[in-house]
Amino acid sequence: MTPTACTPVDGTPEPVDTEDGTATVVTVAGDEKVFPGHYPGFPIFPGVCIVEYAHRSALATFPAEGRWELAAVESTRFLSPVFPGDELRTELTWSQDGEGWRCKAKVASQRGNAAQIRFRFDAGRAG
Amino acid sequence: MSSVPQGVAGIKAVLPHRYPMLLVDRVLELVPGERLTALKAVTCNEPWYEGLSDKASEEDHDYPRVLLIESWCQAAGVLIASERPNPDVLSGQVMLFGGISDVRFTGRVRPGDVMRHEVRLSRALTDTVIFEGECLVDGRVVAEIGRVVMAMRPATELTEQVPGTAASSEEKS
Repeated sequence: MTPTACTPVDGTPEPVDTEDGTATVVTVAGDEKVFPGHYPGFPIFPGVCIVEYAHRSALATFPAEGRWELAAVESTRFLSPVFPGDELRTELTWSQDGEGWRCKAKVASQRGNAAQIRFRFDAGRAG
Repeated sequence: MSSVPQGVAGIKAVLPHRYPMLLVDRVLELVPGERLTALKAVTCNEPWYEGLSDKASEEDHDYPRVLLIESWCQAAGVLIASERPNPDVLSGQVMLFGGISDVRFTGRVRPGDVMRHEVRLSRALTDTVIFEGECLVDGRVVAEIGRVVMAMRPATELTEQVPGTAASSEEKS
């Protein structure tokens, strides 16, 4: 991630080549800053942090130039929990929607599908 | 109304979340089974801001939108938990995110802002509760929350999925 990212996640999703689209991989470190509080004695990666890794994956692989920002989380389904040390692979499918972009993210850990998310991005505005 | 968790101590009595992921500061109003209003103050001392360089712009300080969602959902959790408190995530029934839909961001949140979460219970089934509402800052809506589904599940459904639970004692030897 860029040094100026304000985010609850500590890792940086790395783009990987796929045959038909875009994907990223990132490892959920055991010392991610959210774990002590989610939950004490039982670290489980917050669902919104899975969404955040998908969000950052989308920004890292955005199909258009410019500054884009999250305008909507159109849907999210959580399918299985994510624990410290899990590797998340996120597959992204893009479609243009007027002046914005839609992105469908499928997140999987080694235990299977973890989440499916649909984002909408609009051109970012300064200020 | 004496059982309404108004401050952090009361919120901690009903939610298992702790620093840095306890994202509700105060409950203003709670009508059991119906609605809740809660506050979350945003400060640059939260750990998400730690990595920002001195060159970061004002918009770089936008509060992470996923944390706005988390904070709002925790407020919804307080509404559920007021009837079924469960500060221990390892026993009994735990509240899990089933899904989040139709969340639209219509404004920004920055350090110094106080988010006001308006949570309405739109439907309650046996083990699933559905919420909707808004998040406001200074009276303007910064996010519309179309639908949040929370499911009450036995804690064992979670604990049994922890990798290496059965083998953890072997790994130590």
